[in-house]
Amino acid sequence: MKSLKIKQLIEKIEGEAELDFTFHEGKIEDVKINFGFYRGIEEILQGKDARDALVITPRVCGICNHAHLLSAVRAIENGYENAGHKIELTSKAKDIREFTLACELIQNHIKWLYMTILPQLESYLDSKSEENYAIKATYLSSTITKALAIFAGQWPHSSYAVPGGVTCDPTHLDVMQAQSLVDESIKFFEQVVTELPLDEYLNIEFCADLHHVGGDFGKLLHLIGSSGMSEIGRSHDRFIVFGDCMLSPSGKSIVTKIANVDSKYVKESAQKGTVAKAVMYKERLYEVGPLARGMVGKRTIVKNLHKRYKDSLLTRVFARVHEVATLLDHAKTLLKNLNLEESSCTLDPHMLLQDFEGTGIVEAARGSLIHKTTVKDGLIVNYEIITPTQWNLSHGNDDEQGIAVEAMKGSKNIEEATFIFRTFDVCSVCTTQ
Amino acid sequence: MEKPHLLWLQSITCNGNTHSFLNHPDLFSILSHYNIVHHPALDGSHSFDDVLKDDVPCDVLILEGSFIEKGFLKGGVEVSFILEKYAKKAKYIITAGTCATFGGVFKQKDPSNISGFCFDLEEKSIRYDAYASKLISLPGCPVHPKWLSYVLLMLANGKQIPIDNLHRPTELFGYTVHNGCTRNEYFEWKIDADNYGLKEGCLFYAQGCQGPYTRGSCNKILWNDISSKTRAGTPCFGCTEASFPQTSLFQTKTNMGIPAKMPLGIPKRAYLSLTGVTKSFKIKRFSTRLLEYDK
Repeated sequence: MKSLKIKQLIEKIEGEAELDFTFHEGKIEDVKINFGFYRGIEEILQGKDARDALVITPRVCGICNHAHLLSAVRAIENGYENAGHKIELTSKAKDIREFTLACELIQNHIKWLYMTILPQLESYLDSKSEENYAIKATYLSSTITKALAIFAGQWPHSSYAVPGGVTCDPTHLDVMQAQSLVDESIKFFEQVVTELPLDEYLNIEFCADLHHVGGDFGKLLHLIGSSGMSEIGRSHDRFIVFGDCMLSPSGKSIVTKIANVDSKYVKESAQKGTVAKAVMYKERLYEVGPLARGMVGKRTIVKNLHKRYKDSLLTRVFARVHEVATLLDHAKTLLKNLNLEESSCTLDPHMLLQDFEGTGIVEAARGSLIHKTTVKDGLIVNYEIITPTQWNLSHGNDDEQGIAVEAMKGSKNIEEATFIFRTFDVCSVCTTQ
Repeated sequence: MEKPHLLWLQSITCNGNTHSFLNHPDLFSILSHYNIVHHPALDGSHSFDDVLKDDVPCDVLILEGSFIEKGFLKGGVEVSFILEKYAKKAKYIITAGTCATFGGVFKQKDPSNISGFCFDLEEKSIRYDAYASKLISLPGCPVHPKWLSYVLLMLANGKQIPIDNLHRPTELFGYTVHNGCTRNEYFEWKIDADNYGLKEGCLFYAQGCQGPYTRGSCNKILWNDISSKTRAGTPCFGCTEASFPQTSLFQTKTNMGIPAKMPLGIPKRAYLSLTGVTKSFKIKRFSTRLLEYDK
């Protein structure tokens, strides 16, 4: 039987992508993922002052700009350390950075849930509700980014993290306002997303107890389950996390075996026919993102779902929404324990190193984000950005197909395949920096 | 009367303007004045495929992202062709963000081919004459959600928007970022910040703040309804200006210890005279931490 090729333009992701599907005997055999325009942020940075990366790199991405800022500042701080000048951040600065990053992840996951996954699934299953999901998405995302902006000045595109700490000097007035915005977000999560008290939700360990989850998340899980989609969308079952963070330590998980990782084994390579570069760890493909963090971070309910459904669409979708709960809980704790007596920034402003090389890693909404900076005479001579989407959406290597491609393979129709594609929370702008 | 049709198109962008606008607390009441034809994230009456292949309605066109004539295709169609097709049709064109207005950060990749839609930095592009009569510029990286809602509501209410020579609404861009900054007292008395991470001190003298000569009402209409860069101790990087982003953004360029660039419209002589006077006083309150003075 002859192969059939179909081209499809995908919108309502971050940006657009074009998928070229190859069907063989009625099933998808291969998918080429093409993204738009190479913008050249890495090249734009060359010749600029090392700290300019704190302003330029957030502009890679409108939805995960804060993660870029934090990767950029960590790359400089790591560079200082490599050059023999270790910068000790105060726990206050660390906690504020972690809090604002948590807010950005929550914002992202909630938009994905309400503006991508729920409406797309409903339209795929032909059960479109009349609900304005976007109003729910923007209510929670604007509430939590307001909490972020108390410390960072604004979202998107803040540059409040500087080598040595943060630029803000908050008072209790700020912390109280932020706390009440986090409480408001938790209330929304409890009343609308899960219809369960947050602590009760977080105590769920077994798949059998997931039927207690109500609200829109419950509806989503039910829709996936009742339409027989729980087991589709499986990929290579290999996960990797580089950034030690509140959600997971760094490490890799092959099925369930966990091992340490080192970012020096990460290799980027150009791919034919797309401006997006592929990325591998020791020549192997890995999935990054919430599911990877759930597996490497050994989150009980994610592991139990994985035991039953492997790295299917259901497990992947679940892991991302589940992070919202974990992050809300963590954000609340961070604020409660914030020590305002400490310094915001510990680096002497006159201490400016001229030559260094550093790597900064952050767990962004979609997975590990890596920045590498090389600075000579105070100026950037080389800058490399490896984004999470590059891991998940590469086309693959000689041995195997890419993570998202593998997940779509075997599907009988384009609608189902593009839904699987969206469960990876696709961001085209990050992929083509 | 039928509501005007709103079409939001993206060119070379990070989607930051889209996400900035999604933060608007009154988003859906503002949009209720319009028929949304297509938007990158929100539901519209037409798919992006329709926008590319058909001729969808368009009264108000919002453009996001820098412009390039050739080499950026979506669905096999040059983006520049799509933008121009709807720009011709629209009654109003809003360039949302510094990229769409002046070229922005992405212009630096290919300065001779990438620009704003009607301006290339502050120069008029070849498209300017065709669209000038319906053009509203809203620079900012990203665009401030409330600046965009102001324009959308003014248009929906049939009101004329007063604009300046670069088509920026004067009610938004007549101010500088410095206006309303909570650090103003330190500017008045020429007290610089000792480091980042302090609520005391002005960031104009050492940390690179461009607020005194950058147009925009960031400290009048706050970001996320709560703060701004300078309020959070971050210098203003001049992101609303055509020159954004300049280099060495965390450092004030100085001539003999005086900021090289003067506050907007202030003659150097006036600035120096005033500085001479203020610097001749040593004021105890400014050498004390803000919250400690009355203790």
